Amino acid sequence: MKNRLKLLRVERGWTQEQLGQALGVSRQAVNALETEKHDPSLDLAYRIAVLFARPVEEIFDNPHA
Amino acid sequence: MLALGKSASSAHKRYVLRTMAFMSGYVAVNVAAIFGAFDDIASPAAAWALALTVSAPVVGQIWATLALMRESDEFVRAVVAKQFILASGLAMAVASVWGFGESYADAPHIPAWIIYPLFWACFGLIAPFVKSSN
Repeated sequence: MKNRLKLLRVERGWTQEQLGQALGVSRQAVNALETEKHDPSLDLAYRIAVLFARPVEEIFDNPHA
Repeated sequence: MLALGKSASSAHKRYVLRTMAFMSGYVAVNVAAIFGAFDDIASPAAAWALALTVSAPVVGQIWATLALMRESDEFVRAVVAKQFILASGLAMAVASVWGFGESYADAPHIPAWIIYPLFWACFGLIAPFVKSSN
């Protein structure tokens, strides 16, 4: 799923490891999200949205829209 | 799957420790059997107890793999589950072909416990190609 996760992370100067810790997932999971190798669960997508204080659809493109 | 890098998660570390513990038990029981520690076993009940003792670490290691899935984050869980399912399917396919080969084509007999190392061989073959949860 296309997303702006890397852009948002880099804007804040965070590493994948740091973002993973903030979200409670592994660095591998963050990397997989950024490289579109993993579509997040609704729960994880909302956690990401809360962390970056943005609506989910501003971070993840809705493939059905 | 047994590598422990700096960034290994606590779930992965527990998996490696559990696997090492179970495999140590497996090696110890088999070494004892090779050196004749169980040669005097005569009764069927004792023989089955030995079979269960030898296979217990294998069951434990399978549990360790399932626990890794349960304790990991959603991405690792999805990828390991995918690898596990594909490896199981491939191992069952190979075992079925060989089993019917024994039944119909005089293929040499292979003991059923070979499915466990066969599964991990299949897992090792598949894992490098399954890196996405999609």
